[in-house]
Amino acid sequence: MKTLAKKDLKGVVKAWAEKYHVLAPSRMAKGDCIFDTFQEESFSLDYKKPPLFPKAVFLPHTEVVFEVKDNKLHEVISARNTILFGIRSCDMMGLLQSTSFMTRDRDDIFYSTKKERATIIVMACPGPQNETCFCTTTFSGPVAKKGFDLMFFDMGNDFIIETGSHRGKELLSSGPFTDMDNKLAGEKIKTFKEKAIRDIPVVDEVYEAMRRLKDGAADQKVWEHFGRKCIVCGGCAFVCPTCTCFNVYDQESAPGNGVRARAWDACLYGGFTREASGHNPRPNQASRLKRRHEHKLLYYNESDIQDSLCGCVGCGRCSDYCPVHIGTLEVAREIVKE
Amino acid sequence: MTNSINEFEDADLFLVTGSNTTAQHPLIGSRIVNAKERGAKLLLIDPREIPLAGFADLHLRQNIGTDVAVLNGMMNIAIEEDLYDKGFVEERTEGFEQLKSTVSRYTPRVVEKISGIPAHDLEKAARMYAIADKAMIVYAMGITQHTTGTDNVKTCANLAMLTGHIGRPSTGVNPLRGQNNVQGACDMGALPNVYSGYQPVADPAIKKKFEEAWGIQGLDDKAGLTITDMMVAARKGEIKSLYIMGENPMMSDPDTSDIEHALSSLEFLVVQDIFLSETAAKADVVFPAASFAEKEGTYTNTERRVQITKKAVASPGQARPDWEIICDVSRLAGYPMNYSSPADVMKEINDLTPSYSGITYKRLEMCHGLQWPCPNEEHPGTGYLHRDRFSKGLGTFLPCEFKPLAEVPDEEYDFFLTTGRIYYHYHTGTMTRRTSILEREAPVPFVEVNPDDAKRLGIRNGDQVEVTSRRGSIKARAEVTTRVPKRVVFSTFHYYEAPVNLLTNAAFDPVAKIPEYKGCAVKVRRCI
Repeated sequence: MKTLAKKDLKGVVKAWAEKYHVLAPSRMAKGDCIFDTFQEESFSLDYKKPPLFPKAVFLPHTEVVFEVKDNKLHEVISARNTILFGIRSCDMMGLLQSTSFMTRDRDDIFYSTKKERATIIVMACPGPQNETCFCTTTFSGPVAKKGFDLMFFDMGNDFIIETGSHRGKELLSSGPFTDMDNKLAGEKIKTFKEKAIRDIPVVDEVYEAMRRLKDGAADQKVWEHFGRKCIVCGGCAFVCPTCTCFNVYDQESAPGNGVRARAWDACLYGGFTREASGHNPRPNQASRLKRRHEHKLLYYNESDIQDSLCGCVGCGRCSDYCPVHIGTLEVAREIVKE
Repeated sequence: MTNSINEFEDADLFLVTGSNTTAQHPLIGSRIVNAKERGAKLLLIDPREIPLAGFADLHLRQNIGTDVAVLNGMMNIAIEEDLYDKGFVEERTEGFEQLKSTVSRYTPRVVEKISGIPAHDLEKAARMYAIADKAMIVYAMGITQHTTGTDNVKTCANLAMLTGHIGRPSTGVNPLRGQNNVQGACDMGALPNVYSGYQPVADPAIKKKFEEAWGIQGLDDKAGLTITDMMVAARKGEIKSLYIMGENPMMSDPDTSDIEHALSSLEFLVVQDIFLSETAAKADVVFPAASFAEKEGTYTNTERRVQITKKAVASPGQARPDWEIICDVSRLAGYPMNYSSPADVMKEINDLTPSYSGITYKRLEMCHGLQWPCPNEEHPGTGYLHRDRFSKGLGTFLPCEFKPLAEVPDEEYDFFLTTGRIYYHYHTGTMTRRTSILEREAPVPFVEVNPDDAKRLGIRNGDQVEVTSRRGSIKARAEVTTRVPKRVVFSTFHYYEAPVNLLTNAAFDPVAKIPEYKGCAVKVRRCI
């Protein structure tokens, strides 16, 4: 394995940024930390859990899929060589799950082309990044098991770097990296991981809620309770690393000219399931919330979940950002309470 | 708002009236919902059964346009039962005897007759509000869009002062502003009678200050016209030209046929907008403006917080930021405006506007906004207003008598029409109806009809109905729902296919000149 002195990191990322579009944790002027295009001044390692997993790299908020010019159709597939530096292992699992879903039975080329050209560098978590982290419950952290090109372990003054792919190895071929004995590195990583697992509490209510959902034993009142207060902002879907639903629409600029585009969508919106006749199989907010949470905790696809627990990766962002506190954690606890 | 949004988290009681908060101010609505879960009380006064009704401890459904009577009735009870804040009234207010004398006529029985609210419910409501420790009044257009809008607002203020629910954290009167920058537009003097920071045009010292700053003489010291007045003047030929920015009166103003006539009577119409709105389509000249994401500057939100925004995307075509367009027009008209950037404009705002003096661009770059009044650069901004004293000194009670709507139902036009908004669309739909998911969520104009009325008129859910007032007629899909009381129909002004302002009454409040969007008389029939 390789190591890198912490003081040399910025220089390394800067060198990468000359060849790749690097997205890295960035501290903005007002204190917020987000994934943004690498800039020396704003690059930060003190970033905890950024509000959004950068899924827009693979599935932009809005994306033109084809253009029509004078009644002729041109497909638009855009991608560039990108490095995602420092995503958390929960987000790595989110990306694995989303990629499986987007390529399993039909290849979504708009997504997969971008994915193929992205290099993923995970920053392993030394402990919970805030009070809603529950990756140890969903088997998606604190350390990534697969999918990454490189994974960094923060050892204080330096990083130990695990290589996950040939592409990752290439990245380490030049620069101020030093070799470390694999056995010693492995031991250090083991200690790091054990401490992190000890510090991130397992949320047993999630398991119990999954059991009750499977047995059809979750009380309908749970959904009515949450449905009554949901403000239908769709934020839970937008911050979720495993939500990839989109809506497709056309924009005509002149007769015979225009674009077809897709944009992020959310299953909490009524129109998401409304049929052409006007009939809506999910006619109210309670049933839409039920669908959303069952999708994460009950109706996930075995091959999509990539050896984790379910369709939720335990990042806790829905609990962090829902204005009326309807996140996976709150829902699981309410199901168990009833 | 006299309070800050964060103060919702500590209030014990919310009196929400004329605000569909979860739909129109969802992030404030969600704070009310969360507060309910920690045990706060919610008192709702609204004719419609809005989503907050599901959380209310008490929901009073008054007849449309009877707000002054209802609030006077609550004050009557607070005084009769000795529940008002005598200390506050004594130390902080004046005019109590007049208030007492006016509200003494609004006994629960009298109010029941006017408003339809059962006397014992009104008593319960008055007690709940009066004895709460920290109570906030929350209102929006349901209070203001009446011919008695000014009276309604004064009466809310009377109630808060009488019970001492103002001037402390989480106690106050909170009109929720409907646009991200309508507070800012008013603060900047986009009103006919004041310069920025509400400095009167009629004040000679203020006039001199602005003349010196702008290097000119002879600024007009008489108030100009409101939008409502302008349309009347245009129709009469007294106004020859209008320059309309970011406003769509062909959809948003009452009695559309009359507005169309007014705009057609102009010799010259300029419209500056981000899309070719219904109004822009009538213009002689259209200036394409940049959208919020295509420019930088500041917005002042509902809690008086000035916040900076940065340009995120390039403008399409020839679209430019409003300030640049205005500077060019001014230069061509013979008065060069030499601002180099929004920061430069802000510098002038700081120099000329006492309440904004400390809100500099430099400070805004480094924080999440500053709330006015903020008189100097060391000042942290003001979270809530009227601590220790009102800006005018003592708070004056301004008692009002109940006055009915300008147009009440009769035998022929036998329904109240009340208008409003829905969650998915914004005003005249210029932006939201061009946004795929929002349009998908609410693609069709609708009219809410009470099931009893629907049955009587043979209207089934989803039927096309025709709604007619003395001014016009629209067709829309019936939504049969108990959300509206009997003899009331509700619709929105979002849809050009069924522009509800063809129906509304252009009668307006004598002071604020705000039209009575919230009530007029219509008849309803099923389309065959």
